[in-house]
Amino acid sequence: MESLYLLIPLSVLLVGGILWLLWWAVGSGQFDDLEGPGHRILMDDDRPVPAPPPDDLR
Amino acid sequence: MGDGVMQETYNYKVVRQFAVMAVVWGIVGMAMGVFIAAQLVWPDMTYGIEWLSYGRLRPLHTNAVIFAFGGCALFATSYYVVQRTCHARLFNDGLAAFTFWGWQAVIVAAAISLPMGYTSGKEYAELEWPIDILIAVVWVCYALTFFGTVIKRKTPHIYVANWFFGAFILTVALLHIVNSMAMPAGPFKSYSAYAGVQDAMIQWWYGHNAVGFFLTAGFLGMMYYFVPKQTNRPVYSYRLSVVHFWGLIFTYMWAGPHHLHYTALPDWTQSLGMVFSLILLAPSWGGMVNGIMTLSGAWDKLRTDPILKFLVTSLSFYGMSTFEGPMMAIKSVNALSHYTDWTVGHVHSGALGWVAMVSIGSLYYLIPRMFGRQEMWSVRLINVHFWLATLGVVLYIAAMWVAGVSEGLMWRATNPDGTLTYSFAEAVKATYPFLFIRFLGGLLYVSGMLLMAYNVYRTATARDARVYNDAPIPAAALAHA
Amino acid sequence: MNELTNCFHCGLPAPDGAALVVAIAGSPRPMCCRGCQAVAQAIVDAGMATYYAQRTALPGAPGEPLPHLAALAAYDSPALQAGFVEAPASDASGTSCEVNLMLEGITCAACLWLNERHLAAQPGVLAVDVNFSTHRARVRWDPARTQLSRLLRAVAAIGYRAHPFDARRRDALMQRERRTALWRFLVAGLSSMQVMMYAVPVYLAGEGDMTAADETLIRWASLALTLPAVVYSSAHFFRNAWRDLRLRRLGMDVPVALGIAVAFAASVWATVTGTGEVYFDSVTMFVFLLLGGRYLELRVRQRATDAVDRLGAIVPAVADRLPDWPASRRSEAVAVAALAVGDVVSVAPGGVVPADGVVVEGDSAADESLLTGESLPVPKAVGALVTGGSMNLQSPLLVRVTRVGAETTVQTIVRLLDRAMSEKPAGVAQADRLAGRFVAVALAAAALTFAAWLWLEPARALWVAVSVLVVTCPCALALATPAALTAATTRLAREGVLVTRGHTLETLARVTDVVFDKTGTLTHGRLRLGQVLAHADRSAAQCHALAAALEQGSRHPVALALLAGRASDAAPLPAVAARHLIGLGVEGALPDPHALAAAHAADAAAAMAAGIPADTSGGTLTLRLGAADWLAAWCAAPPPADLPTGDAGTVVVHLASARAWLASFVLEDELRADAPAAIDALRALGCRVHLLSGDQAAAVAAVADRLGIEQRVARASPASKLDCVQNIQGIRNGEGGAGLPPGERAGCVLMVGDGVNDAPVLAGADVSLAVASASEVAGASADGLLLSGRLGDIAAAIRRARMTQRIIRQNLVWAIVYNAASIPLAAAGLVSPWLAGLGMAGSSLLVVGNALRLGR
Repeated sequence: MESLYLLIPLSVLLVGGILWLLWWAVGSGQFDDLEGPGHRILMDDDRPVPAPPPDDLR
Repeated sequence: MGDGVMQETYNYKVVRQFAVMAVVWGIVGMAMGVFIAAQLVWPDMTYGIEWLSYGRLRPLHTNAVIFAFGGCALFATSYYVVQRTCHARLFNDGLAAFTFWGWQAVIVAAAISLPMGYTSGKEYAELEWPIDILIAVVWVCYALTFFGTVIKRKTPHIYVANWFFGAFILTVALLHIVNSMAMPAGPFKSYSAYAGVQDAMIQWWYGHNAVGFFLTAGFLGMMYYFVPKQTNRPVYSYRLSVVHFWGLIFTYMWAGPHHLHYTALPDWTQSLGMVFSLILLAPSWGGMVNGIMTLSGAWDKLRTDPILKFLVTSLSFYGMSTFEGPMMAIKSVNALSHYTDWTVGHVHSGALGWVAMVSIGSLYYLIPRMFGRQEMWSVRLINVHFWLATLGVVLYIAAMWVAGVSEGLMWRATNPDGTLTYSFAEAVKATYPFLFIRFLGGLLYVSGMLLMAYNVYRTATARDARVYNDAPIPAAALAHA
Repeated sequence: MNELTNCFHCGLPAPDGAALVVAIAGSPRPMCCRGCQAVAQAIVDAGMATYYAQRTALPGAPGEPLPHLAALAAYDSPALQAGFVEAPASDASGTSCEVNLMLEGITCAACLWLNERHLAAQPGVLAVDVNFSTHRARVRWDPARTQLSRLLRAVAAIGYRAHPFDARRRDALMQRERRTALWRFLVAGLSSMQVMMYAVPVYLAGEGDMTAADETLIRWASLALTLPAVVYSSAHFFRNAWRDLRLRRLGMDVPVALGIAVAFAASVWATVTGTGEVYFDSVTMFVFLLLGGRYLELRVRQRATDAVDRLGAIVPAVADRLPDWPASRRSEAVAVAALAVGDVVSVAPGGVVPADGVVVEGDSAADESLLTGESLPVPKAVGALVTGGSMNLQSPLLVRVTRVGAETTVQTIVRLLDRAMSEKPAGVAQADRLAGRFVAVALAAAALTFAAWLWLEPARALWVAVSVLVVTCPCALALATPAALTAATTRLAREGVLVTRGHTLETLARVTDVVFDKTGTLTHGRLRLGQVLAHADRSAAQCHALAAALEQGSRHPVALALLAGRASDAAPLPAVAARHLIGLGVEGALPDPHALAAAHAADAAAAMAAGIPADTSGGTLTLRLGAADWLAAWCAAPPPADLPTGDAGTVVVHLASARAWLASFVLEDELRADAPAAIDALRALGCRVHLLSGDQAAAVAAVADRLGIEQRVARASPASKLDCVQNIQGIRNGEGGAGLPPGERAGCVLMVGDGVNDAPVLAGADVSLAVASASEVAGASADGLLLSGRLGDIAAAIRRARMTQRIIRQNLVWAIVYNAASIPLAAAGLVSPWLAGLGMAGSSLLVVGNALRLGR
């Protein structure tokens, strides 16, 4: 089972990475408001702005 | 306008390129699938031409649908979502353009090398080492572009869809690099860095997590953005979506070995895989419920909006296949299902039902916006596409269930004296009608994709359409809390 | 009721349909009042009409008229902003200021969305961040381009109110606490899930399935993954346990810390030496479950604290000080924090009193309902005491400040609430004591086991002793009570019942008698115009208009009822010089009654027909509106024979000129629609229902009769109310009670009120609930707040409290039975260590799962 000697340390390292990510996320307030972001993407109106009139009509 | 101040805009160019190519590669990959499905019904149809043989085209089919179609759809949607939710233009336009052209080069190289028979022999990682290196380079640039954009965001919060996309990008990079480790033995040949059962274990650690992160996390990112946007309602519970993300991260990485039930792998690693496959059901269904309940109170929209039909149906298939998957990981069920067409049916209920449908819904949302229009050229055509696709999937998976279960039962049937009741050929013969039905289902699905291509073409060339590159970035930023 | 006749904005009935209309998304929508109309128009004009599609709850009707910019201008002075605005910071992009605002009037997420977008769209605003969970906004703006007052007014324009507050003190602290707790919890979570993944295969592997090398690798990986959970996440358990030990007591954290330490140390020893068993999965799972429970507890507590902060925000941030009074009336705006005892401040009508003080000039009335629950205005003349946070209703007042800062009434209430939040429920304290005793037993058992095995079979002694310790780790015991209480508290809060004291749930479960403290609780507590009786064939509508003209601008409940009762299409009221006489009524001179009449009627002839007498002197007409006695003493004509008198639960005011009685207005206090059902539900739970009220006997009887309440007391003073409550409790030597021996209680009393005006009664009851819609601050001395305003929730809360007690008992019984059964087995060496770990985690999960049933 030599592959375990690669996969297990790798996943322990990965857990370290995830821990760092969690630490950053908690510290930067990613989890402070868990309702607003869901609403905020709806505030972003991504319908295209109507095309500007052609030059000869200006 | 006219005051000389340049309004900052989003990079829609690369999104548009990927979105259009997703449709193109979708047709190519699925047509390839229909072609090899036909070969299973009419084995002699290609007159023995080797580069049209099943063995060479099957990897091309899987690579084309997963990495070409799915990949392009993921690139397009992740680039779009990360920009719109971070209120920032892509980190580097040149890098973004490189990911597009680089990825197309990978696809073309795959389309040439696989029929020629160059393969490393690892499922879903068949491409040879030069292409693997190109993939790694493109993927690193993708990660740079994506995370660079996240870092320069103007909103304090990182929307949950971006977490899913980010996890998908990082994990795929890790999986690809570890699994593709190989010693080159000439330009088109290499030997895996691992041997024997280790190679199998690494390969299925890769294979499982590729499904988990390429085909699930990335598309969940899509779901968490496009379902709320198309419904115009916030996701049912944002809190649950965050728990969903971390639940998936905390538990996914270890469920790989179940793909090797009843193989040379030690029994305990297989049991482990089974246990965690069952645990995985919780976050998966949490996500599905969250997505579907987003529509609560707006179910009526489902009647009139075919894009929403695609998105919601995809979630139903997600729920179904994530239920079916763990069931099939139970050893006794696996004893029946392993190596049969049931597995093929399971994969396609996930691939056609979940992955493709959520991509198609998202692309229908994206494409008009990329061409400066309010909606697709024909909404009715989207509706027709939806019904073709649904009918296609249902035919496909129903046929495969029946075929798979009959195969499983026939293979294990024994006479009282211990000899096998059926020869292998008898089992093949029993599945013959279902292979034809599967071919029909695939045909329906591809014809839907052709309608989509036509609709996209008419949308892009409509009188009021334009190459829309000046979507403005909102000026008033939200503060860092 | 027809949908169309409801206001599209706030959902209240809109009289006469389409009189006031705003076009929203292309279709005209009816509005109930000008306030709603203005707000809806502002929302539509700002391009945010999607709000109406997104919202999931109706907003309150905008109560106050839009404040004038000048009134808010005081907020712009830099000296004042020092209290709550972060000092202007300059960077490359220019100067910016930042403030924290508490938003009021939020009913659903769409409201917050609306505020965020609206604020972000204001010119000069650089950044906005609205927290959807706490209803707070952080706004950064460019002082060169806009002012704080403009931002506050912008919020008011769309129907909400924003209070600046200082977030730097408590908020920052709470945020740090919350983040630390979450981080600890997540670390333990990740740890436990990863370790579990390594533990399961070891459990699953058959004999000889796994090579020794593989197992060693897995052990070392588990050790590495357990470290963060033990070293970081559990650090405070160790600290607390150490503190407990130094104080020579066995708190809950002692066994917890001991369990973690012993299991972890033994596992490390086993890993290093390659012998015995490892318990990494048990350790991390234990820490994870425990921290999860504590995090939920923290969230519930912080949510309650937030309610307290809102209370503090009712006091304005600025005050008008008259530094040279009485020599000069020059006023200056100062921060309330800068006020000192002895300062004289002026409070405009409609303004909020900034601090506790004594009136030194002026004659007015104050609305103290927020502080005392008293719904009627309290007259305030020279020498009267006023409370910070109350609202001045009628005319300007000068107040000499007597108490500032932490001494003020509002701050005292805040402190009381704070203390309540930090109280430990008796049940938890009891479980702690139980666990303390239990851990002593467990330690003794482990020590004895170790000694016994040392004698029997020394090689196994350590591991058997460890398995005793692990199996007895009292985590199920530790979780039994708090998990259930937390789940129930969270659930109740979601239903609109906020528990503010530790003992509330336990006492609610024992309630036998529910006492409604005043009629205002069962009724709405605000007057509504019921009937207009015009005397001698005069027009009711016009008399109503005259009365409303007299009362315009006043905030007296009678005035509000008269004004609110007017049709929305009624013509504007003429200006009247009105004089309010506290306790009597209002007197005013109308410039030209015929002009007024003409404005209402089609022509002048109709005005004459309305029978409004012209005054001979200069065309003005003096009218009085008020109590019958007061009018009778002034009006030349005798009162009409059919003059209505106030009967049960109603107030009657009359309108008269010096020569004639014009009309009478009957105002009534409405019974809450859900009161009968709520009372029935309480009876169904086996509770006796009582009504105690300071109101007149007739009013009380009317309400009690309609609800079928037998036990009623009217005209009760606070002291007699307390007597009644104690009677029910049977404390007073069985006097009038159940004839029980002295000291024994016959009943457990739940007091439902709307204020703190009866502090002794509320304190005397076993448990109290306040109906928050009547007065949010009432929570000051109530054990719970009925935020939903639904009386039916009282019965629901009692039901849930009973269920909570049942589940706590189940949990405790289970924990004790489990331990009692497992200790002998473990001591006998029959429980293999992994089974012990599984048993411990399993029993904890069972307890938590059982508690979670309360949350459903």
